[in-house]
Amino acid sequence: MNNAARESILGSIRSHLAASLPFDSLEHPVHPENPVILSKPDSPPQSLLELFAQSLESVAGHCIITTDISDALKQILTALKAQRIAISDSPQVERLLHAADLEIELGVALNAHDIFRFDVGITTAQAAIAETGTLVLDSACERHRLVSLVPPVHIAIISASKICETLSEALTLLRSGEEISPAVTFITGPSRTADIELTLAIGVHGPQELYVIIDGST
Amino acid sequence: MNHLSSETFRENARAALADAHLRGALKNATSLFGEKRKAAAASLPNWEDLRTQASAIKDEVLSHLDGYLEEFVGKAEARGAQVHWARNAAEANSIICGLATERKARVVVKSKSMTTEETHLNDALEAAGMQVVETDLGEYIIQLAEEPPSHIIAPAIHKTRGQIGELFTAELGMPPTDDVAQLTSTARATLRDRFAAADVGISGVNFAIAETGTIVIVENEGNIRLTTSLPRLHIAVMGIEKVIPRFADLDVFLKLLPRSASGQRMSAYQSFITGTKRRATDEGPEELHIVLLDNGRSRMLAHPVTRQSLACLRCGACLNVCPVYQQVGGHAYGSVYPGPIGAVITPQLMGIEKAAQLPYASSLCGACREVCPVKIDIPRLLLHLRGEITPRKGSVAERLAFKLWARAMMSPALYKLSSVAGRLLQRVMPISKAWTSGRDLRPIESKSFHQLWSNE
Repeated sequence: MNNAARESILGSIRSHLAASLPFDSLEHPVHPENPVILSKPDSPPQSLLELFAQSLESVAGHCIITTDISDALKQILTALKAQRIAISDSPQVERLLHAADLEIELGVALNAHDIFRFDVGITTAQAAIAETGTLVLDSACERHRLVSLVPPVHIAIISASKICETLSEALTLLRSGEEISPAVTFITGPSRTADIELTLAIGVHGPQELYVIIDGST
Repeated sequence: MNHLSSETFRENARAALADAHLRGALKNATSLFGEKRKAAAASLPNWEDLRTQASAIKDEVLSHLDGYLEEFVGKAEARGAQVHWARNAAEANSIICGLATERKARVVVKSKSMTTEETHLNDALEAAGMQVVETDLGEYIIQLAEEPPSHIIAPAIHKTRGQIGELFTAELGMPPTDDVAQLTSTARATLRDRFAAADVGISGVNFAIAETGTIVIVENEGNIRLTTSLPRLHIAVMGIEKVIPRFADLDVFLKLLPRSASGQRMSAYQSFITGTKRRATDEGPEELHIVLLDNGRSRMLAHPVTRQSLACLRCGACLNVCPVYQQVGGHAYGSVYPGPIGAVITPQLMGIEKAAQLPYASSLCGACREVCPVKIDIPRLLLHLRGEITPRKGSVAERLAFKLWARAMMSPALYKLSSVAGRLLQRVMPISKAWTSGRDLRPIESKSFHQLWSNE
């Protein structure tokens, strides 16, 4: 790498910070006297499950709470008239889809070249955030980066026990492992844009529809 | 390309004020953004605490930037990222073009990055023979139109759906329409093919986390995920000020940023990228290169007031509430960074002599400071920069006017006389063309304060 540029930039940072020192003492401290404690928003009366569903629906996602995931999958895929289904490498997804017993073309853990012609992508999610309706996908656990992104419809399956309440809890969870995964993605609703006259359009580059099936049996 | 200069803000602004189309679009957009931001901020009970916390974190980072940068770089390199340091735009562009050329890249997809707008990377890549495709819908529109962005988060805010329809018909051969959903799906279909063909993906960075070496990128469309997942080479370009200390600090920033930018509780996607993939069979790029850009930023550390400029999250909230931006739009600033934050960043990045009018492009009303998620005191910065500009001698008429004003203010009799005279004279003569050519002059009230007071 370019060591001269590195040394020059770090040197410039240090010398300019040093030049600032005499003025710094004249400033009011930005740091609050006591550390700010961020209060949690008032806990909602409903369950995490209901809060998650409500948050997700407010961003145009569909939430299905069920004890029979295979059946829910079957209903969604039939209604969508989906022909080509791409799935992640999660054994759970493959098992559930087989149980749904549909006449479809199945693509498992596809690469970047093949994925573009599929109608629906199905994955699990490693966690979820109730206050925002967010899914947490961890690439170290499952091959789902493209399956959750390229097909026009994404269906995610998650067990109710994996829903945490706040963003803060989800961030703590991600840091709890030995080292953070190479790629973690937060997903809140289908892809959207308001770049034309600030008019909301759902479905730009990512999925146009997002279904989250929550296993409520646990 | 329609590149206006920062040196001619006054002329640019006058032209913008005459464009009724533009002013209509700006009024709609800025008021909608403003309302959404307000509602989103009000939905959090501790919004002010979050701003205070964010401001303190940014201040901590910026006053120890060398240490946090070295920590970030060390952690990112340990996870397989390759980090490059660029002192200026030319160095950054040459690093990026070099990486792409060495790998014989032909097609480059880009997600929205203000930093690469700042360095004019697209021109450099095209000169090196690449096809460069902006994939954010707004950026794609203005790339087709060959125009610079006019808003930090909504680059094509100055264009109507009708104009975009005509553009798509001319450039993409699409049947004429002004239907937003159809325009959006045409862009999706056209860009899919480019994503599939791309050799290189170039993104910006919203946050770089020192303790983990992670880069975080926030978006709504999914084009950043595609840009950072599909091509075999991912290049992330960031200003050196983007570092934050801890992963847990994201709790504060991921709450503030989407609410301030678009009034959302959460943007649709956040990508957290830490180094390269672990196994060859994993999804994602083979290589991750991070380009750290100085380009005048380290200079801003030399004073606590100018240092604040580096805390900016690029949310665009200050643009939407600014009475100047609301009237003249982004292009008048002649910089990729428009609005109040642009008026303080541009002169510092480009050199104050090249943008000496911008610190005056403000009424100092303070609306920008009120909405800034990291509490940047923009009016104070504007005053500080005005102080650095060599004092301009006013015109003879201006100096005479202020002398007379001073005399009148010191004598009650003259003051009374002048207010009566002013009321009479305003009917027959334009007071000052320099003022009234761009603004309405409010008529002097028919009764003076003194008269109203004595009548009470």
